[in-house]
Amino acid sequence: MKLQIQSISEIDKLVEAFLKVSNGEKIAFLYGDLGAGKTTFVKHLVKKLGSIDEASSPTYSLVNEYDVTEGKLYHMDLYRLNSEQEALEVGIEDYIYSGHFCMVEWPQIIEKLVDKAVEIHITTNEDESRSVEIDLVNY
Amino acid sequence: MSLILAIESSCDDTSAAVIRDGEVLSNVTATQTIHEQYGGVVPEVASRKHQINIIPVVKAALDKAQINKTQLTAIAVTRGPGLLGSLIVGVSFAKSLALALSIPLIDVNHMKAHILAHFAEDPKPSFPFLCLTVSGGHTQIVKVTAPLEMQILGSTIDDAAGEAFDKSGKIMGLKYPAGPEMDKLAQNGNPIFQFAEPKVNGLNFSFSGLKTSILYFLKKQLKTNPNFIDENINDICASVQHQIVYILIKKLKQAASETGIREIAIAGGVSANSGLRKELAIAGKECGWNTYIPDFQYCTDNAGMIGVAAEFSYREKDFSDLNMVPQARLKME
Repeated sequence: MKLQIQSISEIDKLVEAFLKVSNGEKIAFLYGDLGAGKTTFVKHLVKKLGSIDEASSPTYSLVNEYDVTEGKLYHMDLYRLNSEQEALEVGIEDYIYSGHFCMVEWPQIIEKLVDKAVEIHITTNEDESRSVEIDLVNY
Repeated sequence: MSLILAIESSCDDTSAAVIRDGEVLSNVTATQTIHEQYGGVVPEVASRKHQINIIPVVKAALDKAQINKTQLTAIAVTRGPGLLGSLIVGVSFAKSLALALSIPLIDVNHMKAHILAHFAEDPKPSFPFLCLTVSGGHTQIVKVTAPLEMQILGSTIDDAAGEAFDKSGKIMGLKYPAGPEMDKLAQNGNPIFQFAEPKVNGLNFSFSGLKTSILYFLKKQLKTNPNFIDENINDICASVQHQIVYILIKKLKQAASETGIREIAIAGGVSANSGLRKELAIAGKECGWNTYIPDFQYCTDNAGMIGVAAEFSYREKDFSDLNMVPQARLKME
């Protein structure tokens, strides 16, 4: 599914699209450059899923967890990690096989660890609008 | 007399320290040198690496303090916040050692310990004081009424200040984490470029918008001059640093004025930033503050601060039982 977002203030459109496309799948891989809006998307999703928590960046902490109506949401950023081995040493499988929501930024190194995930690719255009592709992908 | 072994394993670093009556005798963080001396290797970033690190680091801390483990009177450990897998290693090790030595266990909140690091050495702030904790993972202003009584007045709603440095640097092509490198370059430049100031209510912070503002600014400039970054790197760094520091100091001033408190401290890894130190000194003079910055070894994640914080609990006999479990999201209040 393709989506145009005029500015980051319309990020809730992406939240709606995610809930539709995911069809119950709780793992999402987020692709996009620095400043594309990956963390902003998760922030809005966390609210939409009924949490009172304010989601902040997990770049340093690697994993942030939030209580949502339907259990937990793990927000991960693998930017600082270099390999699947490092991700495993962090205990990444404990999160992605937990059955809870897992929103993963910079997921390239763990793509082989799951059977399917919702892939969200965000591209920033010249005029600062965003083009988004969002699909449920089987690996 | 208290003789506390403190252990910290909440994020990347494994650290151990020995504290006697509040004085830090040793404060050791896992490095290649420790491993050459005590065995093992250091993987880059990981959490299960704490399992490899913890014994050599504890041995090194005891050796350096010239203390035998049988002399210890308590074991202190970071309970949270942090990465669960990392915290579990420290907590399990601390519990086992406390049990084996039949001495009390003290659990410590990592964020409180950053603040209490001010009590490792003189000069120490007097109560109540405000502390701005700024690091790669945190940005918050805390009102400290007593050693164990703290209230968060404001914190970041997205990126931490240290992260804003690291990511802005990355956009400019500096190696991640770019904070220290940016600080160096900024000292040779002038803050001639302007970036958007985030609008956040109260004493909260936001740095995500600043990162995007820098990104768009550079993209625009590169279109007309492909060498813009190389030619202006010092001034860009100075401008970014100026803006981040300006935001931090502005909120700190607001907090001081709202609370009427003039004892002002900063903590966390970003306290090493020369721009922040300079502006804090200027603001201090202007507003009549007494300002406090801990020695750098107590600014980054370290076990020394965990031990210093634990000493306060030790005096109150505030011990934890062996059912204590680590908490990734441990609250401060």
